[in-house]
Amino acid sequence: MLHYRFLFRELIQARKQAAVFVLCVALSISTIVALNGFKNNVNRSILGDARTLQGGDILLHSHYEFTQALRQAVTDLEQTEAVRGVRAYEFYSVIRSTTGDRTLFTRLKAVESGYPLYGRVELQSGRPFDQVLRAGQVVVEQEVLDRLGLQIGDPVHIGSVVLTIVDVVTHEPDRPVEIFALGPRVFVSTQDLDRLQLIGKGSRVEYKILLKIDGDDATINALAARLALTAQPEQERVNTYRTANSGVKRFFDNLFFFLSLISIFTLFLAGIGMQTSLAALLREKEKTLAIIKAMGAPGSFLFRHYLALVLFLGLIGCLVGIAAGFIVEHLLPLLFAGLLPAGTALSFSVADSGEGLLIGALVVIFFTFLPLYNLRNIRPVAIFRNDTAATARGIFFYPVVLGGFSVLTILVVRQLQDLKTGLYFMAGTSALILCTSLLTRVILAVSRKIPITPLSLRQAHKSLFRPGNATRSIIVTLASALSVLLTIYLVQTNLSATYIESYPPDAPNLFFLDIQPDQKEAFTREIGSVVELFPVIRARLVTINGQPVKEQQGSKRRGDSLTREFNLTYRNTLLADEVIKNGNALFRKDATGSIPLQVSVLDTVAEMGDMHVNDTLEFNIQGVPLQAQVTSIRTRTKSRLYPFFYFVFPEEFLHDAPQTFFAAQHVNKDAIAGLENRIVTSFPNISFINMAETAAQLGGLTRRLTIVVNFFAGFSILAGILIIVGSIFATRLARIREAVYYKILGSGSRFVLSVFIYEHLFLGLFSSFLAVILAQAGSWGLCRYLFDIGYSPHWPVCLLLILLTAALVVGVGVLSSIDIIRQKPAIVLREQNGG
Amino acid sequence: MDRMTNIILEAHNLTKSYPVGDRTMAILDEVSLTIAAGQFVIIAGSSGSGKTTLLTLLSGLDRPSSGRVIMAGQDITDLSEDGLARLRNEQIGFVFQAFHLVPSLNALENVMFPAELKQDRLAGEKAAKLLQRVGLWERRQHFPEQLSGGEKQRVAICRALINSPKILFADEPTGNLDSKNSDAIIDLLAELHREHGTTLVLATHSSDIAERAQRIIRLCDGRLSSDEGM
Repeated sequence: MLHYRFLFRELIQARKQAAVFVLCVALSISTIVALNGFKNNVNRSILGDARTLQGGDILLHSHYEFTQALRQAVTDLEQTEAVRGVRAYEFYSVIRSTTGDRTLFTRLKAVESGYPLYGRVELQSGRPFDQVLRAGQVVVEQEVLDRLGLQIGDPVHIGSVVLTIVDVVTHEPDRPVEIFALGPRVFVSTQDLDRLQLIGKGSRVEYKILLKIDGDDATINALAARLALTAQPEQERVNTYRTANSGVKRFFDNLFFFLSLISIFTLFLAGIGMQTSLAALLREKEKTLAIIKAMGAPGSFLFRHYLALVLFLGLIGCLVGIAAGFIVEHLLPLLFAGLLPAGTALSFSVADSGEGLLIGALVVIFFTFLPLYNLRNIRPVAIFRNDTAATARGIFFYPVVLGGFSVLTILVVRQLQDLKTGLYFMAGTSALILCTSLLTRVILAVSRKIPITPLSLRQAHKSLFRPGNATRSIIVTLASALSVLLTIYLVQTNLSATYIESYPPDAPNLFFLDIQPDQKEAFTREIGSVVELFPVIRARLVTINGQPVKEQQGSKRRGDSLTREFNLTYRNTLLADEVIKNGNALFRKDATGSIPLQVSVLDTVAEMGDMHVNDTLEFNIQGVPLQAQVTSIRTRTKSRLYPFFYFVFPEEFLHDAPQTFFAAQHVNKDAIAGLENRIVTSFPNISFINMAETAAQLGGLTRRLTIVVNFFAGFSILAGILIIVGSIFATRLARIREAVYYKILGSGSRFVLSVFIYEHLFLGLFSSFLAVILAQAGSWGLCRYLFDIGYSPHWPVCLLLILLTAALVVGVGVLSSIDIIRQKPAIVLREQNGG
Repeated sequence: MDRMTNIILEAHNLTKSYPVGDRTMAILDEVSLTIAAGQFVIIAGSSGSGKTTLLTLLSGLDRPSSGRVIMAGQDITDLSEDGLARLRNEQIGFVFQAFHLVPSLNALENVMFPAELKQDRLAGEKAAKLLQRVGLWERRQHFPEQLSGGEKQRVAICRALINSPKILFADEPTGNLDSKNSDAIIDLLAELHREHGTTLVLATHSSDIAERAQRIIRLCDGRLSSDEGM
């Protein structure tokens, strides 16, 4: 039976601490609720509109012209079944204005009449796309007009012909999200495709056939299975709109996964906040609890009542958290502006709210267990003594903690939807908190040894060790949260510095693609200086030591897969930034291997497929099988924007394979436009990428994503602030006593205020100093060992973080202590003496 | 023999010691005593003599390092925490020097609390009677911080008596009060002791209060130094 009046009175009396506890619970689930709701809405809009997003019911895809067998199978289907199909070709190409002074790298899409099968291509004029895009005409994105200085009706050079711009595309159904694209869209009709002369042997073209089926999913699956039997393995892919891997979905999956990690981290810190505020509250109430025990209340009375109180507050916290999560969810589209799939609708979901309640309940129970469990250790004799309750564990303690930890792990794994990462995350977070906790002990212990002369500073430092002060919890929480934020910043800044900003002045800034073998000499002459040409032969890896490579083989971190198409090359020497990691030389001089053909493998791809020297790899080069033995594993000495190849063959073996060439060239900034024009005019099939421009675009995207990540990570700082406020409330009486004693002994309010300011200054400085140490160590490790890039510590930013943290903590601390500073000594003394 | 059958409390060789650094300090050393039902017993001694410690051991608030405590014929030394809690609730009342009212409860609720723990349906009526008896009925809705020291102690006495305990323990009940309030509280305790026939064990260093008791047990440095009025 519950003593409701007692519960109510306890709640009213401890309302400030209760508010902090409620906010901690709300904080712990709000980001998860927001993220899960947002994720589900985005996924619903992606999957719900998968047909539009993919452009058809069945999608056939190849990097080579479709085989005769598959083309025939599609034609048969179109004739015999209720099937309608359209062909599309996508590739990059440089276009130029007819005046010849400007060029632009674009994503060209040649489509048949009837495209799109689902959704609409929306045009600025509002006219139907099918009626606008005819032979000799072109529809472009606004960016094309802006950058080439053209208008609708102007002619434009594409490949070998001049076409007329007839409209501007404002929305394209199967490319709804502009995550990152190398160039704006240009639509041409397939009737012009041959005239363009842009598709040469070995050119990078995405061949697509999109099919619309008049039937249900079972029919679609059956037809797709039938086509898959005809498709050339490893070359032609047949997917339904449900199985096709959308780049958009992959992007959001990865982003949401990372944000989930941060949200769970916030949940952990807020959990520590819950535990700290409850423990501090119970510690302050120890005497009252001892009185109740002295009155004859059994241990279960206190446990039952405080559990009820905690669950009640937890429920309020969950409801507040769900409401806050819903608000945050509706703010997220602002952060994701332009990245979201069109028509993403945000709706309230009962399931998401239920999940939020469940997560909140589990978190509350797990993090409040310890303080509640310790209630049993409060002895009635504590009325007479000031010693704190002993922390005897009892036989149920460890099984319950272990069980709680397991439940929490399941929750984390479920949220991340990945067992291994979930376990790593739990281990990593526990290690971070443990490490921060140990370092906090060290810092506090060392600080005690340092003699402090000024009285107010000395008193402030001693206040850190006031019984009941949550000093360690505050430092651990703030330091952990800040270290994660700073690590994200440092890693992102170092990555940007390596790949985007610090583009070496002499590094190649123009990459030329699809140079045909017969264009080599003329191309070199046009460049006018020595050009490094890399042969490129496109192929798939089929087996490793006879074992077929699988889709899931690859590097999740790099977002790479062994089943994708690779660019092979041939040469007999190492590049300037390569060294041999395993093996004696790039290739064996004698033909002693079991297979005559040799291949050198880059260490990154070797790790993905667990490849070693002497392993046998089988490739498929445009339908031709090729076996090779690994003779060496190479590694790169620098991470930079410079061409590299996973698989390198000896020149003599692949010299005659179907190939194109790739060139990376440094061109003076002023000369780029002129060179681009000459290349487009002389070699319309050759595409080029301005890497400096691309890097700037990538930098912009990175900065936007960093804002999203920081927004989520910022919530973890709130957890630290709540713990500070909770700690001040919980030690209010002790602080009042101190303030009163200072005043009785003759100090003014200014001295009391300075003691409080210094106390929080210590907290802020210790936390941020620790955060900087952890973040520097972590970021250095990540850059050095994970990303393999150089590291710059960015000390001014660290200093700024320390100053901002100190200001924040002092501000929060002093604001929460104002009523304490104003206390009148006489009133406090009267209360203390029981008068 | 007759007196032996009326014994409500026995202590045998009670010792309480605490580790202080690397040595053990005895606060109470081999104290043995018996108290008859209905007696008003004073435990006297100077500050630090072990009065409060003896009181906590006799009342089951703490456990002795060695020795035994027998209350109403029941050895309570090894009772579980919950067993001791039930005993305190049903058979013992406490009055403390610092009052120790539950700050979140008002006067009436504080008095009712032990009876409510016992699930006594008449808790409200009993509390009302007691508060009227001590002249605090008008102040029943006031919280401890709104009461004077004397008022707090009267509420504490009502709370101690609500379950009609066999023994009432009082630890320096006037220690925080002025002389006027002190006299009033001792008068009240003496009256209630007479009215209810409750055994009253009161720890004090005040000789004035000691004079009003039937028996005075004196402690010195944790040992029993005299026992007057047995």
